[in-house]
Amino acid sequence: MGAVTSTDTVPLVLFTVGVAAAATFLNLVPGIATAWVLSRPGWRGKTALETLVSLPLVLPPTAVGLALLLLFGRTGPLGRPLYERLGIDVAFNWKGVVLASAVVAFPLLVRSARSAFEEVDPHLPAVARTLGHGPVRAFFEIELPLAWRGVLAGTVLAFARALGEFGATILVAGNIPGRTQTLALALYQRVQVGQDREALMLAGISALLAAAALTVAEIVVHRRERTLAE
Amino acid sequence: MAGSVFIEIDLALRQGRFELAVAARLGEAAAVLGPSGAGKTTLLEAIAGLKRARGRLMVGGELLQDTAAGIFLPPERRRLGYVPQFGALFPHLSVLRNLTFGRPHRRRGGADFEALVSSLDLEPLLVRHPRHLSGGERRRVALARALLARPRLLLLDEPTAGLDPLRARKALAGIRRVREELDVPLLVVTHGQQEALALASEVVLLDAGQVAAVGPARQTLLAPRVLALDPERRWENVAAARLVRHDAAGGTSEVRLDGGEAVTIPHSPDLAAGADLVLAIDAEDLLLATAPPAGLSARNAVAGRVEELIPVGTSVYARVGPWLAHLTPAAVADLDLAAGMPVWLVAKTHSWRVVAG
Repeated sequence: MGAVTSTDTVPLVLFTVGVAAAATFLNLVPGIATAWVLSRPGWRGKTALETLVSLPLVLPPTAVGLALLLLFGRTGPLGRPLYERLGIDVAFNWKGVVLASAVVAFPLLVRSARSAFEEVDPHLPAVARTLGHGPVRAFFEIELPLAWRGVLAGTVLAFARALGEFGATILVAGNIPGRTQTLALALYQRVQVGQDREALMLAGISALLAAAALTVAEIVVHRRERTLAE
Repeated sequence: MAGSVFIEIDLALRQGRFELAVAARLGEAAAVLGPSGAGKTTLLEAIAGLKRARGRLMVGGELLQDTAAGIFLPPERRRLGYVPQFGALFPHLSVLRNLTFGRPHRRRGGADFEALVSSLDLEPLLVRHPRHLSGGERRRVALARALLARPRLLLLDEPTAGLDPLRARKALAGIRRVREELDVPLLVVTHGQQEALALASEVVLLDAGQVAAVGPARQTLLAPRVLALDPERRWENVAAARLVRHDAAGGTSEVRLDGGEAVTIPHSPDLAAGADLVLAIDAEDLLLATAPPAGLSARNAVAGRVEELIPVGTSVYARVGPWLAHLTPAAVADLDLAAGMPVWLVAKTHSWRVVAG
């Protein structure tokens, strides 16, 4: 049994990590942009956007999945143009897994990055502007480097969350071994068919992966702290 | 250049319940004074283009914004050197990177890097990081950073806030020095009268977002209406001076005021002979005598004439030349003081403070 499991497990882990990485990467630009926009003080519609962004955090993941299915299904308002113009179909394939993981992980990146941007002294980008640099340069040279730690922490959290995504994924992409099955989905399937030891092993691998991601982030952040303190 | 209009402000801005509405025409060295919450910093940010005010703003003959004409230059195109309170150095960059961060505007010659670094004594700081600098050092770096971008106008927000008196004095002297060397116009926000008089020849007095008074610095601040705005305020006489010589044994240093009078101040060995200074003395520390004083320990006596008696609250200011002496109505009655009377102003050596030098 051991040999069969290990040959099954390696592609499963690679697929899961790949999907989580893709989801995180997909989130990076819109996540940082949303975080920055939300860190600006008092503008109309801010509360509404805040609520919308945080919604996937508190909704049942299955509800998020259902919403995604309706929006991105081939006949959905977003899915139809995506399919007709670009030939992209997300339902029941790896793209659906990436989409579901990305949406569910999005708020974690945004919330962490947003507090980091809020902590940057607003005088600093202001001074950069008066020194002759436009808002884009001020962002990339002042705000982003200073908010770096919070952005990275949020990115890792989002990655870890994407690794373990289950509810939304199963609705959008199903649980198809070798096609859309991630660690979390495989674990569920093994439990259902009574392979408890295998399920436990998959749970262990998931825990290891998440712990590794968080540890790497912790080390990088602290090394950065040390160099800053010197 | 004195007297000519350099900045024309006609700006209005609403922030929640606070409303700023400022119209003023100022020269090349102006101070914005007022109590906290008066809108001084907001005005500075609106001028820098960091806050979007309505109205019109001209600096040095160039239109920076005019809402009616749909013109609003963003901060990066205004060429204004903004130095916020405490300097706002970029904490993740070395001093050198902070200094070279600006994009110098090449249309006009200005601060040369080497000259400025030496003038503000920044050489030993260049490789350091902002968090290892003292408050005074941060201000100097921030000032140099703004100047290296070759601004058409310097905007300073409370340049000595949080500094101890010695550092504040050095900071003011540094600002005066580079201002003279580079001939850069200046608009400084402050709540200290002595700072305003040390740096500016004109003042705008803000109160609750509105202009309470505007005009030549001393004259405006001396107006009875302005004095009455805050009867609790101690009037500080401020005068430019030059150091003549030290008398270490006598514990004094001799200075010559801009008006030509010789005055002794406490021994200040850190100042070089010939150094330009700004001195201050509280109106409460100036005594009036109706006859040439004799047999006093006070070492400074200057002859003058009472030009005006200004009642403020329960006391009276006697104006003698540029000086204000604070008196009780009883003293005025006893001495029979009246405008036109010849008097002697008397001050102890230790009543003088060096505010810049």
